[in-house]
Amino acid sequence: MNPAPADGTRTDWNTGRALVRPHVVTGGRGTPSRNTLDHITLITAAREDLTDLGPEQCRLMRVCLGGWLSVAEVAANLRLPTSVTKVLLADLVDSGHITATAPAAPAGIPGEQLLKDVLDGLRALL
Amino acid sequence: MDQSLLVPLFWCLLACGAVGAVLLARQRHVTTRLRARNAEVEQALRIREEEVAHLASVRLRAMVDSVNGIGVDVPGLLHPRLQDTTFAQDLQVVLDLVADSEAKAVGRADEWVKTSLQSMARAVQSLAAEQQIAISAMQEQHDDPLVLEGLLRIDHANSQLGRRVQAVAVLCGAWPGTQRTAAELVDVVRGAVSRIRDYLRVEVRSRVDLAVVDTAVEPVVLAVAELLDNAARSSQSGTTVRVDVQGGHNGVSIVIDDAGVGMNSELIAKAHRLLSGTEPVDVRRLGNPPQTGFAVCGVLVAKYGFRVSVDTTSPYGGVRAVVFLPNELLTRVERPEPLRAQPRATPVAAPPVEDPALRPTTLNGLPVRRRQRPVQAGVGVAPRSRPAELQAAPPRSPEQTASGIGAWQQASVAGRVIDPHDERTSP
Repeated sequence: MNPAPADGTRTDWNTGRALVRPHVVTGGRGTPSRNTLDHITLITAAREDLTDLGPEQCRLMRVCLGGWLSVAEVAANLRLPTSVTKVLLADLVDSGHITATAPAAPAGIPGEQLLKDVLDGLRALL
Repeated sequence: MDQSLLVPLFWCLLACGAVGAVLLARQRHVTTRLRARNAEVEQALRIREEEVAHLASVRLRAMVDSVNGIGVDVPGLLHPRLQDTTFAQDLQVVLDLVADSEAKAVGRADEWVKTSLQSMARAVQSLAAEQQIAISAMQEQHDDPLVLEGLLRIDHANSQLGRRVQAVAVLCGAWPGTQRTAAELVDVVRGAVSRIRDYLRVEVRSRVDLAVVDTAVEPVVLAVAELLDNAARSSQSGTTVRVDVQGGHNGVSIVIDDAGVGMNSELIAKAHRLLSGTEPVDVRRLGNPPQTGFAVCGVLVAKYGFRVSVDTTSPYGGVRAVVFLPNELLTRVERPEPLRAQPRATPVAAPPVEDPALRPTTLNGLPVRRRQRPVQAGVGVAPRSRPAELQAAPPRSPEQTASGIGAWQQASVAGRVIDPHDERTSP
């Protein structure tokens, strides 16, 4: 048994033909149990216990262990649509596996002028 | 009359009488023989006529049925006494010729049926694949839960459609039609679960972290999906179909247990025959509605070298189907390490805004970055408006900014020179 270079499910996801379809991942549900999660909501693992979790939930928990990631980053990691990831995350928040928090408020983000300056500078450099 | 004439006349008459008697006796003998012969010939003719009628009405029909796969024995001669005659041999020649030409016609018809079915299946299969790509793209684009729920239902229907048409293509001798790379066993089983109607009733447990080699992924998914569909259809809607993936010395078994009605010995024997993969599949005789499950598994078993058996009873009273994958079809996948969350401080919500006039700036007027104080997680922060002075700051010209950025870039490059004594740069 030689090691194979890649995992087929993930490669095929890029072509839109994932082996495990989202309806199996969420059990046919499209609506998250809570609507507090956004693309930029930050989440982290609150528990290390992975028993009774499905394969995607386990992967999600492993990704989130030890730090904070946004919902969009988690979805990209799991290679699942963000809307499907939200359904999984909402369940995990309900069961206490995941802690979610609001993202940084606009005041903590650099101002529009500063970003414009950086863009102008980069354009001038190129 | 003269006495002397009477004597010779008498003798003459006597002689004539004797000759006539002899002739008569001979004639009678000949007639008897001819009658007997005639009867014999008539009987032989009748036998042959009956034999020809038997050939036309019974033996040829049976032969045609037999060539068409209906399990009928072709009867022999009606009159066994014709066994070694030329007539019987000629009849056999006729029978063989008809059988041969019928077999050729059946073969051609089978080929035509398979070719047309296969091309139709291919067309539908590629449409289903296109549709699946479109569904996946929509799942990525739309965030509305209601839209997602609709998309999940469409995706489910599309997956079933894809499996059905894939089964038809496989039965017609085509390959399963999707090229995949190696995939983990649990994903292979869940991929199969995605493609059946009652997917919510299936419970998957896997204690094996092996993967299926690329060429066998789609065939195994299809075979497991057909067995799961059989299991779900033959059991009541409230029951669970359990799938257990178990490792062994020579390979891995995917065990599918249902709590359904089970199969009688006749059905088990039929299933065993189909699953052996040794019998050619006749697409014209799959029943109505067509029973494709075991036939598809049989074709895949013969082509890809795994085994399927359904001859044991499940502990829940139904059927236990086992798909055995030998080591040749298994591999290990090196999972790409996911981008893990970096250990970092609890997300910073808005820091208290200072007076921008007091904020230290660089020569170019850019604010100097400072370490910010971590804020307790989960603390909701009300958005604050930016101070009026900052908003009203006059825009710098691109040239001014360029010089600033140039300095920043130089500093950045200089800062990337690795100091071997710095612990932070060591891995």
